[in-house]
Amino acid sequence: MANRVAIVGIGQTHHTSQRNDVNQPEMVGEAVRAALADANLSIKDIESMFFGNMETFEGIFLPDHGMAAEVGAIGKPGFKVNTGGTTGGSVVVEAFSMVASGLFDVAMAIGFEKQDCGDTTAAITAAAVPNWAKGAATGAIGEFAKQALAYMKTSGAKEEHAAMVRLKADKGACRNENAHLRLGLKSIDEVMQSPYLVWPLRLMDFCPQSCGACVLILASEKKARKIHKKPVWLVDYEVVHQEPFRAGVFGDPTGEETYTQHVACEKIYKRNNITDVRKQVDLAEIYEPSNWEEMNLYEHLHFCGDGEGWKLIEKGITEIEGEFPVNCSGGVIATNPIGATPVIRVAEAALQVRGDAGEHQATRDVKTAIATALGGPNWTAMFLLKRSV
Amino acid sequence: MQMVTEKLEGMDVWLYHGQIYIPNTYSAGAVGSRFLTTLRDKGMILGMRCSKCNRVYVPARSVCTECFAQIDEWVEVGDKGTVLTYSIDYETKPVMQPVEPPVVYAVIQLDGADSGFAHMLGEVEPEKLSIGMRVQAVFKPKRERVASILDIRYFKPIS
Amino acid sequence: MAKEPEYIRIAYKAPRPYDWSTGKYLGKVYAEAKENKKLVGNRCPKCQYIWLPPTPVCPKCKVDMGWDWAELPQTGTVYQYTYLVYPLWDPHYGEKWANPYPSATILLDNGTFYRHFLEEKDREKLKEGMRVQAVWKEDYNERGQGVQDILYFRTIEE
Repeated sequence: MANRVAIVGIGQTHHTSQRNDVNQPEMVGEAVRAALADANLSIKDIESMFFGNMETFEGIFLPDHGMAAEVGAIGKPGFKVNTGGTTGGSVVVEAFSMVASGLFDVAMAIGFEKQDCGDTTAAITAAAVPNWAKGAATGAIGEFAKQALAYMKTSGAKEEHAAMVRLKADKGACRNENAHLRLGLKSIDEVMQSPYLVWPLRLMDFCPQSCGACVLILASEKKARKIHKKPVWLVDYEVVHQEPFRAGVFGDPTGEETYTQHVACEKIYKRNNITDVRKQVDLAEIYEPSNWEEMNLYEHLHFCGDGEGWKLIEKGITEIEGEFPVNCSGGVIATNPIGATPVIRVAEAALQVRGDAGEHQATRDVKTAIATALGGPNWTAMFLLKRSV
Repeated sequence: MQMVTEKLEGMDVWLYHGQIYIPNTYSAGAVGSRFLTTLRDKGMILGMRCSKCNRVYVPARSVCTECFAQIDEWVEVGDKGTVLTYSIDYETKPVMQPVEPPVVYAVIQLDGADSGFAHMLGEVEPEKLSIGMRVQAVFKPKRERVASILDIRYFKPIS
Repeated sequence: MAKEPEYIRIAYKAPRPYDWSTGKYLGKVYAEAKENKKLVGNRCPKCQYIWLPPTPVCPKCKVDMGWDWAELPQTGTVYQYTYLVYPLWDPHYGEKWANPYPSATILLDNGTFYRHFLEEKDREKLKEGMRVQAVWKEDYNERGQGVQDILYFRTIEE
């Protein structure tokens, strides 16, 4: 019989573009100490530690080894995972599984990326098989551009809708002291003036490269209630890594592809008797690497019907004060330290469930929340969080 | 950009000769930076002390490995020490290691430090190397120092 | 007045060389491109789709593909395209790609989807549905890079 698992400690750094004042180990140490303070635990109480990082970006091999002292991992069991953009999701799953199985009562999930050390796009292009995809590769940006074009064509969304997504994200980011990009945008006109990066994606449509770390402390039920007054229960998850026919990547951009988001959310919704997502779930923190992707994700996660994603944005349904808030924290397009990003999604969803999100707390009471991770060729990791079980 | 490919003898299989070349820039951080700039500007080696564990770390670091405390008590540790262990590398990769082979690596515990750190030995014959030998830092002249661990050229044996 | 602390940053630019083998499936594509200026793919025995890049297992049907090769037409229609403006760092060479350039998913006339560059650099002239044709490197000695032996796809009037 699996243990129930709760999040009892949440810590993050102030995410930003450059951190010269710390090296990578010290930066991660900041988030670890913040999580320990939040849980009111000492490092001795942490029984195991799991790391998530995309090594190629910083070019530091086995970073968990090099930072053992700074994060307090010396002598503790654990290991590192790297699964592309879903890395943070995978590390939360590792920590969750260790506690649910009863191997440990307390596990720490650590996601981090110090992106001022490397060049993300170069690293992503290095993932392409040489000769092959490299020939027409444009890194992640090119893929999202093609997807944006396809979305405009099939759903009737306009560039203005993408600009509205950025405006919503920026409003959240400006209220979130940890967010990276806090532009202070006042209208979509400012977004529409941003230059094109890869047409039709503008500079402002895409996520930044951030330095940051995010740490979650997970505990089994018997310890969770003793550690924190408001444990947030991680009740379910799905990880779907497969090679779908993503538009243009493997040559079948005819819409017959298997969306990993469908596979993940349909299983979670079925297991948890969720038939009307926007009524039975109160909030979502989704992994949207571009604002166009956010509208796509609304549809793939069944927040609305096909082709309707841009309408949720137009009607303000997903704003902080809205009926179904999404990404009150500013989301990925405001903050993206890749290894940490999915952990931040779970962390922010958990803060909302606790009511501890400060100025970016959603207006709607959040008892149930969803967090998602996205990576590689449209992989998905998805989590369901609840205030009480 | 031309790709470099090579057909294998006798079969329709090609080899693609490529390279992963992603430029990296690492931050030493505030503590690391002070350690390195002190090497450059003063020709001096600094350690960091944890008063709780009574341990001095060289190079200076911001966290005690024993008790996880954040430490900030800087100490000078002089330039003499003892070789804890050593090894000779005859086949260094030129790109990764900027020093010509053969390179004698050693873990050296400076007087006053409780940890050893890795550096190189110079002005010594391989047959004369021994664990426990006493060594002293040889710094590059000030104009050549750039706030790098290699501002210490090597450690040489002293009697 | 307190002095700004000096933060040291250490630049590291070591290339990590590698040798990557095409294997026999992609090697067949290389051979046909070099010797005959032909594009080939392998055909799934179940769904009959011709895959380029070739594959030992059909991604749609999950069956073994075997060694059934077919020549692909060199003309097609642009299904989707993107236009790169921002110079990207190519890690395989350690240099930045010249910008701007368009790349596209092309629906070849037999129904196979394929990605490659386009010749047309004027963004105004690019549109979905335009007809394109492969333009090869004519010099035999310059070929031998597989599908990169096709320089780009040129817009044709039809």
